[in-house]
Amino acid sequence: MVTILALAGLAATFGLMLGLRATETLGAVAFAPWVGLIGFDAGVVAGVLTAAASTGLWLLASSHEGTHVAAVQALVPIAYLALLGVGTAVAGRRLHASERAHRSFAALQSALIDATLDGICLTDREGNVLILNAPLRRLSLDLGLPLVGTVPEQLLAIAPRMVDPERYRRRMAELAESKGESTSDEFELAGTGRVFRGFTAPVSDASGRFAGRIWTLREVTADRELDRMRDAFVATVSHELRTPLTSISGFLEMMEDEEEGLGETGRTYLDVIRRSTDRLHHLVEDLLLVAQIEAHRVELEYGILDLAELAQVCVDAFRATAGEKDVKLVLVGDRPSPISGDRRRLTQVLDNLVSNAVKFTEDGGTITVSITTNGDWATCVVADTGVGIPSDEQGQIFSRFFRASTATQRAIPGTGLGLAISRALVEQHGGTISLESREGEGTRVTMTLPAQQPEEGTHAVGA
Amino acid sequence: MRHRVLILEPHDDVRMLLELSMERLGYEPVAPADGGPGKIDAVVLEPSWTLGRKILKRLGDAIPPVVCLSIFPREAGFAPPESVAYLTKPSSLQELGDALRTACAC
Repeated sequence: MVTILALAGLAATFGLMLGLRATETLGAVAFAPWVGLIGFDAGVVAGVLTAAASTGLWLLASSHEGTHVAAVQALVPIAYLALLGVGTAVAGRRLHASERAHRSFAALQSALIDATLDGICLTDREGNVLILNAPLRRLSLDLGLPLVGTVPEQLLAIAPRMVDPERYRRRMAELAESKGESTSDEFELAGTGRVFRGFTAPVSDASGRFAGRIWTLREVTADRELDRMRDAFVATVSHELRTPLTSISGFLEMMEDEEEGLGETGRTYLDVIRRSTDRLHHLVEDLLLVAQIEAHRVELEYGILDLAELAQVCVDAFRATAGEKDVKLVLVGDRPSPISGDRRRLTQVLDNLVSNAVKFTEDGGTITVSITTNGDWATCVVADTGVGIPSDEQGQIFSRFFRASTATQRAIPGTGLGLAISRALVEQHGGTISLESREGEGTRVTMTLPAQQPEEGTHAVGA
Repeated sequence: MRHRVLILEPHDDVRMLLELSMERLGYEPVAPADGGPGKIDAVVLEPSWTLGRKILKRLGDAIPPVVCLSIFPREAGFAPPESVAYLTKPSSLQELGDALRTACAC
């Protein structure tokens, strides 16, 4: 608006100076707003106006007779300068407006990343800080980060302040090596009980090349405290369940001698009670084991074992249940596969995997358990032709209490603890466990364990 | 002469079960109330039961070997120093028998 008024004013002034008639001045004034309106680009407006005005003025001046001509011609450069001034002012204002818009957007962005709860930092390829938000500045103070050097260097410098500094160092070293991967982990600041969760992922530039990393940090102390409370609650309840379970299973055992006098119906009822009691017992033990795992209180009794033999025992134990469903249960691999591990715990893992396969494979399906040894690793694969797990749920399948929708929809019983326990136990053995699945086609769980490492055995459990 | 086993268990049902189990295994169950004078050869104790641990302490210097039968794992740290065996509930009759044999042999 200011631009339009300025142009109109300028046109009117020129009209007066030139001694134009009122109608001609009015025409010039009417023309000016249009130039102002269409002149989106201030530079172009200035140029067009300058050229038009110079030419117009020259022509106007030439068309007048007498003494005005020289004066008017002298005014041309002044008009040129005046218009240039207007043009520059307009251009300046427009530039200023765009810069102001840009700055206010940048301020918004900065306010946005400062307003989140997470500490956020962007680094370049070498790990130098490019952007650091306010929460991260505060968290850096809490953690005592040195704030000099690259982010990986800073993170490494605070290793001695962590619970289990060795593990922390190892994770940081892994991080330094894996430029192309995103990863996250939790660590605890020693002596404070404060737990932090860090996440980092590579960031690509417009052409898709590695440009640096984003780092986020969040304090999860309250979350972990909640987890601890939940675990304590679950543990208390589970322990208390052991008392009635003791009476039930104890008196069931006492009933064995009386069973003959019960008749067939009575014996059937007793079998049901016995099976349910066993199930309840397993459930309680699983709940307690999960609590122990969370508290890092599971101690392994290492011994030299044959994974193939463990698998054989497990397959034999489940053959009857599989047979009832007309599910074929096959063990592949007859060579011994020596490992170092806790017999009871690994049996539990295998039982979990095979029991899952039996539960989730429908009549007429096949379950294949295969054992192989390859250099440093012994591998057990349990593959079924069962109901499978939807791909969007596979990421959570090893989480405590998680149950796949394919299980809940079919009302297949379970607690969602088997795989969580299995993973914890396998990882405690230095192994890995992973899962591939296609809904409606089947699931394949792969467990790897370090092949026999004699120095680990404390007292042999026996193979 | 049957070995006398003092049963320190807070829950009536479980105590009844343990008394029956003692009979089956050939021991004489002794309740704290009728403990009175007389030798006690072993104790079956729920170690998380505070009163039970107090009763045990009252036996003074003559605390016999203790079989812990608990709803908590050994790591919970309730077991008294006199423990010679630790079982978690529920345990089978055979496990209890084995533990008591160990205790009475001490």
